[in-house]
Amino acid sequence: MMKIGLYIHIPFCLQKCLYCDFPSNAGLAHLYQPYVAALCREISGLGGVLSGDIVDTIYIGGGTPTVLSGNDLSQILQQVHASFSIDEDAEISIEANPGTIDFGKLLALRAAGVNRISFGVQTFSDPLLLSIGRIHSAAQGLEAVKMAKSAGFIDINIDLMYGLPGQTTQQLRDSIQKAVELDVSHISGYGLKVEDGTPFATMHQQGTLILPDEEIDEEMYDLATQLLPTKGFTRYEISNFARAGYECRHNLKYWHYQPYIGVGAAAHSFWQGERRNNTADVVTYIRAVEQGMSPIEVRETPEKSTAMAEYVFLALRTVEGMSVPKFDRYFSADFFTYYGAVVTMLTGKHLIVATENKIFLTQIGMKYGNIVFRAFLP
Amino acid sequence: MKTSNIRNFSIIAHIDHGKSTLADRLIEYTGALSSRQMEAQVLDNMDIERERGITIKAQSVRLEYKAKDGETYMLNLIDTPGHVDFTYEVSRSLAACEGALLIVDAAQGIEAQTLANVYLALDNDLEIITIINKIDLPSADPERVKKEVEDVIGLDTSEAVLTSAKTGIGIEEVLEAIVKKVPAPQGAAEQPLCALIFDSHFDAYKGVIAYVRVMNGTIKPGMKMKMIATNKIIEVTEVGVFRPAMTNVSELGPGHVGFVAGSIKNVKDVRVGDTITDADNPVAQALPGYRKVTPMVYCGLYPVDNSDYDLLRDALEKLRLNDASLVFEPETSMALGLGFRCGFLGLLHMEVVQERLEREYNLTLITTAPSVIYKIFKTNGEIFEIENPAKLPTPQEIEHIEEPYVKAMVIVPNDYVGVVMELSQEKRGEFKDMKYLDTTRVMITYHLPLSEIIYDYFDRLKSASRGYASLDYELIGYRQSKLVKLDILLNGEIVDALSIIVHHEKAAYRGRLLVEKLKGIIPRQMFEIPIQAAIGNKIIARESVRAMRKDVLSKCYGGDISRKRKLLEKQKQGKKRMKQVGNVEVPQEAFMAILKID
Repeated sequence: MMKIGLYIHIPFCLQKCLYCDFPSNAGLAHLYQPYVAALCREISGLGGVLSGDIVDTIYIGGGTPTVLSGNDLSQILQQVHASFSIDEDAEISIEANPGTIDFGKLLALRAAGVNRISFGVQTFSDPLLLSIGRIHSAAQGLEAVKMAKSAGFIDINIDLMYGLPGQTTQQLRDSIQKAVELDVSHISGYGLKVEDGTPFATMHQQGTLILPDEEIDEEMYDLATQLLPTKGFTRYEISNFARAGYECRHNLKYWHYQPYIGVGAAAHSFWQGERRNNTADVVTYIRAVEQGMSPIEVRETPEKSTAMAEYVFLALRTVEGMSVPKFDRYFSADFFTYYGAVVTMLTGKHLIVATENKIFLTQIGMKYGNIVFRAFLP
Repeated sequence: MKTSNIRNFSIIAHIDHGKSTLADRLIEYTGALSSRQMEAQVLDNMDIERERGITIKAQSVRLEYKAKDGETYMLNLIDTPGHVDFTYEVSRSLAACEGALLIVDAAQGIEAQTLANVYLALDNDLEIITIINKIDLPSADPERVKKEVEDVIGLDTSEAVLTSAKTGIGIEEVLEAIVKKVPAPQGAAEQPLCALIFDSHFDAYKGVIAYVRVMNGTIKPGMKMKMIATNKIIEVTEVGVFRPAMTNVSELGPGHVGFVAGSIKNVKDVRVGDTITDADNPVAQALPGYRKVTPMVYCGLYPVDNSDYDLLRDALEKLRLNDASLVFEPETSMALGLGFRCGFLGLLHMEVVQERLEREYNLTLITTAPSVIYKIFKTNGEIFEIENPAKLPTPQEIEHIEEPYVKAMVIVPNDYVGVVMELSQEKRGEFKDMKYLDTTRVMITYHLPLSEIIYDYFDRLKSASRGYASLDYELIGYRQSKLVKLDILLNGEIVDALSIIVHHEKAAYRGRLLVEKLKGIIPRQMFEIPIQAAIGNKIIARESVRAMRKDVLSKCYGGDISRKRKLLEKQKQGKKRMKQVGNVEVPQEAFMAILKID
């Protein structure tokens, strides 16, 4: 019997943020009901296939899952419970935008079994929130966390961003301070990246998007990675910090090469060594599921050399690093035979530390992770 | 066929004057290929030739033409390259002919390269038929161009043929002129076999194929042929002609042009310019051969991936089978590892070889900046040549250095005389002569260091003259110059592959520009990278590439690992063309940056 993760994607937002290139859509409220129905149908179809396994983490992500009503979200989770064996101790997370929740919805989520909530707060500065196209205010961010606590949530994450247009290191410090004062259990810190096809990319090209200087950007990264641990938030992954025992178990599955099933439009799965993803187009997704067809668009079983590289670079994202014996067992191979030269090169550059039993990123290695990750690719 | 009905001819022309198109029309008209089989520019059959619109390798084709006099003639066309780098190939082809078609563009008139090739043809005593092509162009002025040919080259153009190869005008007239004017080959079947090898190529199944022009005697399968220079005796297995596909025939007689195969494994046994004779009844004297081809330009070729060294050697060896002018020998660079120092006829030749290695052999290469051959006179009396700047001894050991000079002829509309002279002076040129070809076009002659020509003289000449200038040059000898070695240091270490030899007055200027250019080429890395230019121990320029502050992907959406991986893979792909030099990753183009700085 295997423990697996379940990812549920809600591809809707009230408004798309200017930097966002995730699969989500604004202005599709008329599709909420058909989508929820399709989602339930897809879940129920998978139930039989996975009847022998236990789901021990569930992650409802988006988009903005909380654009849906408490009822809709409960209905989805009821379907999950009906179709899968859920571990008693399961971590059930949901992402939420502070502008899309109210106390009633939070209570409904609690009642449906959700025990972890992740708020896309990004920053506690109103001008910055406006400049990146968020729909909520700083006050709403604060209020959301307080309400979640009142509703009984203990495991609460806040996403914070740095490198925002016009952001200063002081503003980031303030946001971190506020998050700490709110006494959340988990903080994710992400650097803004200008992604192709986003409004920010266009603005960047036109020269109207003024981003902090690289030195400032680095300073913010340094601030976050140094300040948070002093406040009791231990870094356990490149972008993730948590109080002891509050690491996100679902996200750890990604880094630990554990299986997970994704349902919903654009959802990704990693199952029996195969990576697959559903069609990202909401209408196509709904239609396929309604007609009893598979919404899967891409299936790929990476070759061994690629799979090994994935295994290594995902594990290296965690502070703990990669266990060499686990790698050797998983691939029936000798890690150092494959990567001895790469490891020597990277240790020479002080990017990783390698012992007989594990390899992990140094502080510098965390900053230049891509150099390390690329080195393991075939 | 009677020898008197054979005509062997070449076509000489400047690039773009319509040589290949005219050749195609002749093939089409005489029915060697149906128009259905015609692929545009049949004779340029390498991809690179078609893409660049140039002819690199000589080709030949046999045409049969029923002339107006009722007789059928065998016309052997030997196509020739038009670029200055390949003058050597032209001279080989010409030696196999009795006549040449000189094609001149009716709008542009004669160009520097036309002149050079006409003089080659005259040296070979060929009958020259002037063809004024592209008369369909609105800007065509055949009379002016004819007068230019008379004034400048001294050819009688009263019987020049006016053509438009594109629209097919004048093709029959060209064929008639060939029949009437090009002398039939001399030679007798009874005499001992004597045939000139004017080219060769390597065929994976048949071995080395020699392209021959038979002077006397007959060559046929089964006989034993002897290569006079190499003394090899080989049994002839096949003889044939080009139609233009290789087609076997029973024999090749006097005046014939065709190919000979004899399961020859080693391309060195078939030396282009050598004479084939009958082993049982040999001629005493070989035909006058060709001068040995000497590379003018050298550069280092290194695989980006060191483990590709053997593949690179094999690929070079294969290319040399069909390109005797390519020379190479192993060399080691501190920065680049194991590679080869290769000699080329010129820059175009170098580019073509590099492109073929990358394209046909799937190699990723670093090419170092081209260098000429310098003669070093040491204080201890030693004299030697170097073709790699890194090998220059220390200044204390050098008495003086000599560098190759060329005589360069530039033909340009008179509006651009000023810019050409300015550029040539800047390139250390010595003015020799200026001659009006007609009222608007001028031929300017300079003596220039070859190293300046291979840097960017031609590119700049072209752009300064809006593309109107044409250039031809020939080596005239060595001259003493005050030259110094300019070294480039990355992160404090000299990168030998980036060293260049420059005139001492230009060293500081070039050093500064090169350092600036490199700053733009070398990507930012984890640490700051100082880039310095130095002459001896003196740093003359410095820039630095700022450190990259961080490089890490943060957010991972919903377990989409493939996307993350693909992004990393794409980045890695970009890095594949980079060479690790010490701690620094240096992209391919950095090594050629010197060519693009002025």
